[in-house]
Amino acid sequence: MTTQELIQAEVWPSVSESSGRSAPEVIDVAHLRKEYGTTVAVDDVSFTVHAGEIFGILGRNGAGKTTTVECITGLRTADRGEISVLGLDPRRDRRELHERVGVQLQESAVPELMRVSEAVELYASFYREPADGPELIAALGLEDAKHTYFKHLSGGQKQRLSIVLALIGRPEIAVLDELTTGLDPEARRDTWRLIEGIRARGVAIVLVTHFMEEAERLCDRVALIDHGRVVALDRPDALAIAATTSKRVRFTPTEPLSDELLMALPEVSGVEHHGPEVVVAGSSDLVTAVVLALHRAGIHAEDVQTETANLEDAFLALTDETPHNTNGATR
Amino acid sequence: MSTAALSLTPRQRRAFGLLVASEIKIAIRRPVGLIVAVGIPFALLVIFGSIPATTRPLQALGGISFFNLYVPTLLVFVMIALGLMTLPQQLSAYRRQGVLRRMSTTPVPPSWVLVAQTTVAATLAVIGVTILLGAGAGAYGLALPHDAGGYLVSLVALVLTGAATLGLGLFVAAVAGSPQIAQALTALLFYPLAFFSGLYVPLQEIHSQVIQDIAKALPTGAGFNALHAAFSGQSPGVEPLLVLAAWAVGSWVLATRLFRWE
Repeated sequence: MTTQELIQAEVWPSVSESSGRSAPEVIDVAHLRKEYGTTVAVDDVSFTVHAGEIFGILGRNGAGKTTTVECITGLRTADRGEISVLGLDPRRDRRELHERVGVQLQESAVPELMRVSEAVELYASFYREPADGPELIAALGLEDAKHTYFKHLSGGQKQRLSIVLALIGRPEIAVLDELTTGLDPEARRDTWRLIEGIRARGVAIVLVTHFMEEAERLCDRVALIDHGRVVALDRPDALAIAATTSKRVRFTPTEPLSDELLMALPEVSGVEHHGPEVVVAGSSDLVTAVVLALHRAGIHAEDVQTETANLEDAFLALTDETPHNTNGATR
Repeated sequence: MSTAALSLTPRQRRAFGLLVASEIKIAIRRPVGLIVAVGIPFALLVIFGSIPATTRPLQALGGISFFNLYVPTLLVFVMIALGLMTLPQQLSAYRRQGVLRRMSTTPVPPSWVLVAQTTVAATLAVIGVTILLGAGAGAYGLALPHDAGGYLVSLVALVLTGAATLGLGLFVAAVAGSPQIAQALTALLFYPLAFFSGLYVPLQEIHSQVIQDIAKALPTGAGFNALHAAFSGQSPGVEPLLVLAAWAVGSWVLATRLFRWE
């Protein structure tokens, strides 16, 4: 039996089937802002998460992801903005929120000398209607490690225990922060299957990650956060297409050339000048289009270099070029 | 810190019970508390009890033996070993490792860990004190309090000494920027406080009013004075108990205001 089947068959009770779009909102964040002293951790973040959805929060370190998640889960008080989680106020209704929202945070642990099975039994006792601990342990492949002390677990095992503890309260929402960081590729794929299995039971998942691939594979929608703001929010395939199809061509023209010449081409989305060098941004057939247009105008291009964005570049491009390229990214 | 242990639902009682049980298991797996609060005082008791000269009444000590004078010191030692040298370190280790952060996302607040650890520490204190009194009286002729009043005063003095030193330890854990600094600061507090409980030399042998006055104002000195009086069949008066209560309340107010759970 696969992990996913186990989760579906035994651990999780049947929750009404729900499909992302039309499902009710379980998290509503509007204009969240949080400062630490003079540092603005979260500037202005808004998004909604629907029941049964896997919602990704993507961004680099320091972008404000973790602070956002900490405000949603009631660990921090927002300076401004409205947050509603399952209709609850995360600060005021903290206790009730924690009954219904499972959280896996970075830099969190159980005591070093606590065994896996003990931690699961203890955490199960914190909740009203806990899931079956031993079955969850088995589902996450921790059966062989259940008598191991926490400090002797491998990084991947600690991460999986962390998932068990986030799910032990049978949450309606699971918030998972940097879930697969530190896992080897195989363990990462296993974890992805598990997440999909949980979602299939109607649990909404907020997945904080800096892995583009992970967001692409798992998430129904992704909010890209940079400098405390949402710079893009869309389905991951839409984001990836917008990003991966953009290319850049650099060259040095033999004669000065007007931007209009290039902007007139349907393939071109932007032109920049860096000294004598011209950088043209645009979509797939960019090189051919640009070189042909220059040729027709009698201009020769020297040192032609093309840059094709991969996912990593796309990520960097989207977060770097705020705010003026935001529309391009979300289109 | 909310020690909301007063009105628990059956489910919360079960959660608290499991939390205490796991802290007990951890205390057995890494027996720091057992060593410092039970092992060391017991070893000191055996060493001093086995030296014939220490169990003889001495004129210089007001007609009682050095041994009878030293057991109240060892009782105070049990309390400060737990309150100052064990529990705050465990709690700040939990904070550093993210144990408290992990719990703060569950329906059970992380302050329960402190309550559970205090429960375990209290159990260790009972074991340590019982062994000291049992072995002291059984094997070395220790003079125990004469009546129920003496025992009651002793109990109150021990609880207050433990509360005051734990409050101090938590205060240090709260203000120290790092666990290393916390460790250094608690050691800095521990040695002088132990001195004023008579751990190194009986304070009765130091003929200095200044030392006596300082001892009376400190939790360890006040704790020792109350216990010594109770074990000698005298009334300690309210002063040492008030001093202890003031330290306990003051340190806890400061510690609870300053301690960060993350």
